Amino acid sequence: MAKIKLENVVKSFGAYQVVHGANLEIEDGEFTVFVGPSGCGKSTLLRMIAGLEDISAGTISIGGKVVNDTEPSDRGIAMVFQSYALYPHMTVRRNLSFGLEMNGNPKADTARRVALAANILQINELMGRRPAQLSGGQRQRVAIGRAIVREPQVFLFDEPLSNLDAELRVQMRVEISKLHKQLGTTMIYVTHDQTEAMTLADKIVVLRAGHIEQVGAPLDLYDDPANQFVAGFVGSPKMNFLKAEVVEKTPDGAVVALSSDRNVRFAFQLSAQIGLGATVTLGIRPEHFAPPGGGDADLTVAVEVAEHLGNTSYVHASLAGETVVIEQPENRHGGARRHLTVGVPTSRVFLFDQTGNRLR
Amino acid sequence: MLSRNRAAYAFLAPYLLIFVTFWLWPIINSLLISFQNTRVNPWRFSLSANWGRLFGDPAFYNALYNTLIILVIQVPVMIALATVMAVLLDSPLLKARPLYRFAFFAPVVVGEVAYAAVFRLMFSADFGIINKLITSVGLSPVSWFDNANAAMALVIIAITWRWAGYNAIILLAGLQSIPDDVYEAATLDRVSKFQQFLHITLPLLKPIISFCVVLSVIGTMQLFTEPFLITNRGGPGGGTETLGLLLYRQGFTSLNFGYASAIAYTIAGLAVAISLLNLMLGGEKK
Repeated sequence: MAKIKLENVVKSFGAYQVVHGANLEIEDGEFTVFVGPSGCGKSTLLRMIAGLEDISAGTISIGGKVVNDTEPSDRGIAMVFQSYALYPHMTVRRNLSFGLEMNGNPKADTARRVALAANILQINELMGRRPAQLSGGQRQRVAIGRAIVREPQVFLFDEPLSNLDAELRVQMRVEISKLHKQLGTTMIYVTHDQTEAMTLADKIVVLRAGHIEQVGAPLDLYDDPANQFVAGFVGSPKMNFLKAEVVEKTPDGAVVALSSDRNVRFAFQLSAQIGLGATVTLGIRPEHFAPPGGGDADLTVAVEVAEHLGNTSYVHASLAGETVVIEQPENRHGGARRHLTVGVPTSRVFLFDQTGNRLR
Repeated sequence: MLSRNRAAYAFLAPYLLIFVTFWLWPIINSLLISFQNTRVNPWRFSLSANWGRLFGDPAFYNALYNTLIILVIQVPVMIALATVMAVLLDSPLLKARPLYRFAFFAPVVVGEVAYAAVFRLMFSADFGIINKLITSVGLSPVSWFDNANAAMALVIIAITWRWAGYNAIILLAGLQSIPDDVYEAATLDRVSKFQQFLHITLPLLKPIISFCVVLSVIGTMQLFTEPFLITNRGGPGGGTETLGLLLYRQGFTSLNFGYASAIAYTIAGLAVAISLLNLMLGGEKK
């Protein structure tokens, strides 16, 4: 196990900078997930920790030792790749043992480690097969097994479930979570899927365009996003954003009216300074709408389509050109509605300025 | 069914006609000719005139021996060289890669007569640059065209120069199809670059290497240009006469088409047999 520390880590490809001074601490045994849209630099950051990419500036420490110039194989890490990266011409057993054999590890110890990994991942019956004879889920297990036999200080996962179907992804997600509990090793996991991030992580690192936007526990990010990007990225379906305007300054904050319906107003307590007439964005999660009269203001929207999931339904509606998604308890006898009125509790509404920063 | 496909056959007809006339018929006819004594008029069926003669003909065994010697020495050397060239071409450290790729491939594009003339000049006993280099380091000059072994070496060098780059480009395509992350996984597994080459690159490249070997075997079995143009029609004294050259001599100098056809079928049979053997030995174990 090892603590990982990133200090002002920069990565540039020629003149193009893709990671801009990342600072991060990952505790011993912590399961950290790097999450963000494609091209945000999460895989690059992971590969820099692995040593597969050079660091343009800054330092990376693993277990208290700066590893900037340490070879990937000497960093005490093991990596599971998105494409599995199994040796296609070797059996599962050889895939697991190959690295140890090449390093002259004693045969008995290699056999012990391979057997242990095979037992943990329940792949004993696959040991004689080649990767081409395995399903996607089985290949992923072998790839994880190859990482386990190295007995690393840190596991790195680079979007390991992206190539699996939805059902298998859920199953493997649970297995990776169990594996973390069983091994207790520091794990860093890269994904663009916020559900994976929320379900697996002790700590989530949200990245956008090479910047770390926010670091925190999954529910902290959900409950208290630092900005509009994090608010929109964490949670499914994503948060609704509605244009609004500051219509009144109060001694402890401001009153904000929806641009689409100026009768819908919310009074916020704010420590941040904001001018009268300033354009702001209101954020409210689909699951945080209340029944009519149950909030501080009511909102009437035009229903476009409803998705019925059995226990709940998502109503996709529009409000003067803005799309709103509202989670509703499933009402099988409700029939098709043209309009829907919901309550909006101010305590559940987030306020963002024009640049997307949270106003508190 | 036939009426439905009539239009398709009509479109195919010009090609099929040319295919049957100039490809299928000559193949069948040459097999028939190989069973005929073509030194009498009219030709008549004879098993011994060509096939019988083949098995007792010292010229055939000499040509077969020369061809197999070239095959056994040149093909492995060239494939090994091509593999090294492909690995170097694939290196991320290499600058101006397209230039090298073209340079390695260029010998295939150069006209055979032109390249043969250049080789004859370079290896000329009296004023060739190769002998100048050899004598400059204190060794005796080599009679490249008068000594059978030296002439054989010259043919092997020439073929290797001409085809190594071609095979390297094929192998390079194979190398580039091996995913980078397999090597990254091996690097994290603390597997050295040399071990990666031995245990990952070579096994994964095996099907492509087999393909190159089969192509080279077929090419060598038909070898004609180099011994004809560079070493004076298989000289000295038949020292570099290959099966291809023997076939040419029988068919176009002696006009013994029956015997030439028998040699042609022998060349094809041997090429198929050696290629199958190679594929069997190099095949994936299931």
